[in-house]
Amino acid sequence: MLMPIKTILVIEDDRFIGEMYVRSLMKAGYSVDWVVDGNDGLITARNKSYDLILLDVMLPEKRGTEILSALRGGKEDLIPNTKVIVLTNFEQDDKSRAEMQQHADAYLIKAEITPKKLIEVIRQLDN
Amino acid sequence: MAIKTQKLIRDFLPAFRRKTFLKIILLQIVSALAVAGILFGLLELNLADMRLWIIVAIISAISIIINIILTKIAARPAKDLLAATIHISGELTDSTPPNPNDKYYAGTGLDRALQSIYDIAGAKSEVEASTNNPTDQPTVVVPSSDKLKSALDTTTCGFVVLDNKRKITFYNKAAPIHFDSENTPSLNVIFNGSDTLDAWLNDCEQHAVHAEHTWTRIPDKLADEEDRRLFDVIASYDKGSANEVVLTLVDRTAVYSVSEQELDFIAFAAHELRGPITVIRGYLDVLSDELDDVLAEDQKELFRRLTVSANRLSGYINNILNTSRYDRRHLSVHLNEDKLSDIYDMITDDMQLRAHSQNRMLNVNIPSDLPTVAADRASISEVLGNLIDNAIKYSNEGGVINVTAGVKSDFVEVSVQDFGIGMPGNVVSNLFQKFYRSHRSRETVAGTGIGLYISKAIVESHGGNIGVRSEDGKGSVFTFTLPIYATIAAKLQAGNNSNEALISQGKGWIKNHDMYRS
Repeated sequence: MLMPIKTILVIEDDRFIGEMYVRSLMKAGYSVDWVVDGNDGLITARNKSYDLILLDVMLPEKRGTEILSALRGGKEDLIPNTKVIVLTNFEQDDKSRAEMQQHADAYLIKAEITPKKLIEVIRQLDN
Repeated sequence: MAIKTQKLIRDFLPAFRRKTFLKIILLQIVSALAVAGILFGLLELNLADMRLWIIVAIISAISIIINIILTKIAARPAKDLLAATIHISGELTDSTPPNPNDKYYAGTGLDRALQSIYDIAGAKSEVEASTNNPTDQPTVVVPSSDKLKSALDTTTCGFVVLDNKRKITFYNKAAPIHFDSENTPSLNVIFNGSDTLDAWLNDCEQHAVHAEHTWTRIPDKLADEEDRRLFDVIASYDKGSANEVVLTLVDRTAVYSVSEQELDFIAFAAHELRGPITVIRGYLDVLSDELDDVLAEDQKELFRRLTVSANRLSGYINNILNTSRYDRRHLSVHLNEDKLSDIYDMITDDMQLRAHSQNRMLNVNIPSDLPTVAADRASISEVLGNLIDNAIKYSNEGGVINVTAGVKSDFVEVSVQDFGIGMPGNVVSNLFQKFYRSHRSRETVAGTGIGLYISKAIVESHGGNIGVRSEDGKGSVFTFTLPIYATIAAKLQAGNNSNEALISQGKGWIKNHDMYRS
């Protein structure tokens, strides 16, 4: 049986949005780490095993697409016990979006997802 | 006196065939009887001997078959010439016009006979054209082919000639041509969806002798590539001619690219707006939660108004983005089996809040046991949001809005009814056009006028329909339909769940987000 989601890594460069997620997720009882650039995001995701990663796409240093394909695009899934939710406001072209959707557990538009709805989605992933 | 109906050319052959076959059979029977008589007279065979009759019957049957086959072979040229005549006469027919380049005709002279018939049709339409234009000079100076070629190379218009195997036999400098590894030239433009040159040519081969078709805004590269050119493509088809297809490609980049850039700017601006919207909606969510115990009821109402306004703003931004994608033919829906009631569940809180804060009564009755539909969740929730938003806008304080759904043949039909200001009939026909605002709405209600335009685009890309019934001063009912999943499941699976198989005039859609977007 899968363990319910407890630990979350937020990779998000916008301070307002990052703080918003961290604040409401912690209130909801999750343990949350937050990094603001792509390189740190990839390193942190590889060093520690999280139950869930919230991944932005337009990030400094390394794009979310690159992080996801580094983690899951190769032969071996480097984060087999971790779920990934892509959160973006950027409309990607069809190909890169399809590629991300293939490796992610959900692909959401940030402007449509309030913290409350995000927590609902995370609970759905638990089932 | 009975009136004799005028016979058509296509009626001739079947009647002629019937008469001829009847004559063959009658003559065969007569000659068989004669042979039997002679055998009986000369050889004094026993008439009661069954063998005699069997032999006579077999011989008759064989000669009838041989005669029919020979007649068919002998009549083939006449039949083909007749078929060609039918096609150029303009009579309706489902037969394929004979192709003079067919192996069967090659070098027999019949190919030239067919060609002559087709040329007559060509000459006829030229005569018609020139009589419309009496100043046409009858004498034409024909330049040498070298001169012509260099002249064609200096024009900015692309010319491409294809033979009857659809191989390029000529192209000038301005034509968008691509060479493959074997240096074979091919046309390098991207048609939209299923309305391609090949599809049109397939159709021509089946049904036409002379035909013309125009495509507008055809790019040679994808949207975000450099040096993209946009063409109007005019094709003319001339069955059997050595230059069967002539394509004229008019480079309209200068005209079209301006609006392309505008659309890109709109998409870009809308993306930028999404950042602050995320923060506003998110913090409102966080704050109204955290301050729930602290705030007085009237202050909570102010928070609700903030939330409703932020949600509406977000919906309008989605409309702008979708419209810009649709106008660039980049909008696509990804259809999945879904329940309408589940789709509505996603936006129900938002809609109730919106109706409540503007003092409207929103009654929603979408039975959860309706058949499942083929829908793109995010897009359909945007359509529902737009229709309910409109109903709120165009109804009065305290008004009732009814949302209902039911089965209508192969579709699930959704209705959004208001009892507001309504519209006269002449307004209704323009309603789904972009930026259209109804007669009174310009003065009384704010809005962009793209909500219905994009809703129609989304519903039609699902294979459904959207419409409205309205009475001036009494209110309006907007309805839209979505195909029941079971009726199109097979088509969808064949097309990898994209809507292309569903929409015959598909416009090159790309996929939308198919995972939950809100």
